[in-house]
This record gives sequence, C-alpha cells and structure tokens, in this order.
Amino acid sequence: MISVEQLRYVRLGTPDLERAVAFARRIVGLELVGQDDDQAWFRSDYRDHTLVFVAGDPADQTLGIEVRDPASLESARADLEAAGLVVMAGDEAGRRARKVKDYISFISPGGLRIDLVLRPLHSGWRYFPTRDAGITGFHGVAIRSTDIKGDERLWTAVLSGLVSDWVGEAAYIRTDDRHHRISLHPSTTGGLLEVQFEIEGLDQLMQNAYWLRAAQWKLLHGPGRQPASGQIFLTFQGVDDMAFSYVAEGDRFAPDQPQRLPRQFAHARSSFCSWSSECAMIEYAAEGEPT
Amino acid sequence: MINLRDVSYCRLGTRDLEGAIVFTTEILGLEIAERHKKAVYFRSDARTHTLCYFEGDPADQAVAFEVAAAADLDQAGAELERLGHSVRRGTAQECELRKVRDMVAFRDPTGNPIELVVRPEYSGRRYFAPRDAGITGFSHVGLCTTDPRRDEQFWTRVCNARVSDRIGDAPLLRIDEVHHTIALFPTDRAGIQHINHQVESADDIQRSYRFLRERQVDIVFGPGRHPTSSAKFLYFQGPDGMVFEYSSGVRSIADELLYRERQFPFEPKGFCQWGAKPKIAEFRS
Repeated sequence: MISVEQLRYVRLGTPDLERAVAFARRIVGLELVGQDDDQAWFRSDYRDHTLVFVAGDPADQTLGIEVRDPASLESARADLEAAGLVVMAGDEAGRRARKVKDYISFISPGGLRIDLVLRPLHSGWRYFPTRDAGITGFHGVAIRSTDIKGDERLWTAVLSGLVSDWVGEAAYIRTDDRHHRISLHPSTTGGLLEVQFEIEGLDQLMQNAYWLRAAQWKLLHGPGRQPASGQIFLTFQGVDDMAFSYVAEGDRFAPDQPQRLPRQFAHARSSFCSWSSECAMIEYAAEGEPT
Repeated sequence: MINLRDVSYCRLGTRDLEGAIVFTTEILGLEIAERHKKAVYFRSDARTHTLCYFEGDPADQAVAFEVAAAADLDQAGAELERLGHSVRRGTAQECELRKVRDMVAFRDPTGNPIELVVRPEYSGRRYFAPRDAGITGFSHVGLCTTDPRRDEQFWTRVCNARVSDRIGDAPLLRIDEVHHTIALFPTDRAGIQHINHQVESADDIQRSYRFLRERQVDIVFGPGRHPTSSAKFLYFQGPDGMVFEYSSGVRSIADELLYRERQFPFEPKGFCQWGAKPKIAEFRS
C-alpha cells in the first residue's frame, strides 16, 4: 500500500504558454515563480510550486503526489507493478523540471499520468499572489476516468485513499482529514477535469464570482455548495478545456473519530450543487435534466 | 422619547390582491394567516401577522412599531402633537384589523405613515412556510426620506433609534441589538423603500437566488454582502414596485457604550463587499 503524503502539483501541457501564463496570473491569481522557454511554475502556498504549464500537447496532464522516503518509492514501484501498471523511472531532466530528488511515473487505469515524487521543493518565501483572490493553497483535483472501477481500486487499494461518498459512479476520495482531495468521474477520455485551489471563505468565493463575471470570464459551475462534502465552490474555464475551481469550507474527518460509511448520492444535478447553480459540465449533470 | 421596541408589521395597499397573494406565498414564501375579502394577512414568524395586503391604493402603506404600553401611546401622542405632527388614536375597528390592543397613527417628517401599537398578537401555532425559503422572520424596513438629516434627528431624538452606520447620508438605525431595524434612504417621495425578512443561512440566500431567477423574478441587487451589517443579502421586486429583501447574518451590537457608527461611501462598494451592483433607484447616486 502506498501512503500519499500530499498532493504536490499539476503539470498541464499547453500549445500557447504565454496565454496560459497570463491566465494563471491574471485570472486565477497565482504567483509566477519561474519560467523558461518550455514551462512556467506557479506557487499557491508553502510549496515551491503547485501548477506548471508546459509547452506542448494539452492532453499531456500529470498529477504529482509526494511519498515519504526512498523506501516508500521503491515499495510503491513494486505495488504498482503488482497491480499491473507500467512504471517509468524518472530521469535527470524530469527531476529538474519537477524540482524533486527522485520520482517514478505511471498512467492510471483511467488514463491519468501520475508522478510519485520524493523531496519536492518547499518554499522558504511565502506565497505572494498576483491578485487578491484569497487563495490559501492547492486543494485537489477532479479526475476524468475511462475506467472508474479501476481508478477507484488504484486510489483505495494501492494509494491508500478512502471513499468518502459516491455520486452515481463518481467517487470522492480522501487522503487526509478533508472530505476529499480527489474526485473520480466517469468520462470518455482520461485526464484532469478540474484543478482546485482553496480560498479563505464565502466572501472570497462570491467576490471572485463577481470579479470573473465582470471580466467576462466563463463560469462553468457555481457559485455553489457540494452536498456530499459541504464544500462551497466556483468552477471556471481555464485554458485548453481544463476547468479551474476555487473551493472553501467543507467537512473534515477527524482522524480519532470513528469513520462513517461512504454515502451513495444519486447521479443528479442536485447531488452536485445544493444551491442549484448553473452547470456547464456534463460530468456533473445527469442526462435528460434541463441545463 | 418614544420607545420603539420592535417593528411589527407592514400594511400595503394593492389593486391586485390575487397577484399579491401569489407573489407573497409562492415567491416570497410567507404563510397565509387569514384571508378576507379585501385583505390578506401573512405570517413570517411567531407573530399572528407581519404583513398585510389590502385592496386599495398602492401608495397607501404603513409600518407599525410596537411600544410597551398604552401609557406610552398617550405620551407619544402628546410629544408628536407638540412637534406639530397630526396624531390619530386608532378606533376599536382599526385595532381589530391590525390585531393589536391599542394604536396611534401619525406621519414621520417625510410623510411615511407610522403606527405605534400595543400588544400585537402572537400565534400559538408556529409559522409554517409554503416554500422552503428558510425565513426566520420579518426584521426591518427601509423608509424613504426627503431629508435624511431631519429624519435621522426625528428617529434618534424623538424616538429611541441609534445610528449604527451611514452609507453616504443614509442612516441605518437600530432600536435594539440588531444592527438596523429602520434604514432611511434619500429620495423624493414618501413610502416604504424595502421590506426585509431574515433567512437561516447564506445557503438560503443562494438557493433563493436560483429559485427566483428560474421564475423570472426581477432580482434588483445581490446575492451580496453588506459591509455595514455584515449580512448576506438578496433584493428582488414584488408587486407594485415594492422591493423585498432576504438577508442572513446581520450583526448584533451588544455594547452600546463602545460601539461607534461608521461612514461608508454611497456607491456600490458601500452597499456590497462582494461586488454586486444595485439596480435599486434609492441605492444609486
């Protein structure tokens, strides 16, 4: 079993690096910490970076997860191979790009590339945002999966996550005291659906909603509240079909409390938002329901 | 000094009583308490009624405030007459229509009809909402003022109101620990400017926003948050141009001695700290 220390970063390919950089800074409000011809790193918290835009194919998407030590990385390799996955060892160029000591990489059954990384860079300098979006850190991701059962198995049986709740076949997976860091959604293509940044609270969520509307930026879902987690969210268009979200509040699972059973919610619009906000994301809308 | 203890009800004339009933029950979410041929009473909390629509001129409106006892009415009447207001004691029939034991009626300096009432009726049965708007009760009124300085003096010197904050020259006035029960908005007419009901949570504000939008109700401000009272809010248009507000999380002022009113700008950011822009005439310069 591979113990997930924390989610570290998302790497996203983009054909237009300049446009992606402008989006991350001007719209999301992240801090640009470094840029070369091929990639740009962005900080959202104490981690050196949590988002990287890489010049290239937008289908090229990677989630980085930190593991504890070299022994964990070695046993992770064995666990993944035992689960029938092809594991690729990291090379020097890859380590430099990811700013980690070592890493291995594999593709999940549902089609997402995942890096397991060792000793990723921490920042000694505090996060200084480009605009006051109220970001407190990288929260998690929503994942598209072409093999939802296989991905759920990967996240629970191999990566030591726990299912907090299901909405239809979609699963919310927790890896720490939060209701979830990962959500898996059935889809026709594998990859990332949403990159989520946590913000301070409701005021910042609504301020961002008005700010994005005034900037005529496309909102995809929300402002709303997720019934399963109690999280408030605002999801908006990123570059290259990727969605970005601000999230806040939400349930926590105290580690010393007895763990409840995961609950099953119906695959319906109302299970994705209890404010019945407008939704343009097919993964969150039941078929046949009015949009 | 006229000691206002609470705001009790609003009375609104309308030429379309049926339309007002549909709006009040299906959109606003109040419970019909009593239905007469020419008037309908609505509940929003433990009281028998907090809103009455009656057949008549939409300009015919009144706001009632509760005072402690009949002696307060005598004193208030004398004080108001001394200041040149014409004061009328309510007849037995008028009291019965308002479900109060005693009352006087007068107009404030702008000309808003105000009623002072004694022992407004409470219900033994709890409020049961026709739709789940999360309403916890009728809470405050916005009143039109043609001279905010003069009217602030009236409400704070002749009555017991205190200024909690000002947006431009518009004072938000409290009569108890609730940040405001009366708000005065400068304009060129008399009348009730808006009627507020409290709802349980910010979730209710957001749900109602979607609910009202789906029903093509004209949302005139919000969802937003007042920097003054810290309440989350939503304003929308009712019958005869009346503006209704839902809000949640209004600030409580516990320490009368230490609290100091603050001055906010009379512009959108003085009204909303989230970035909503009002479509309400009295909230725009």
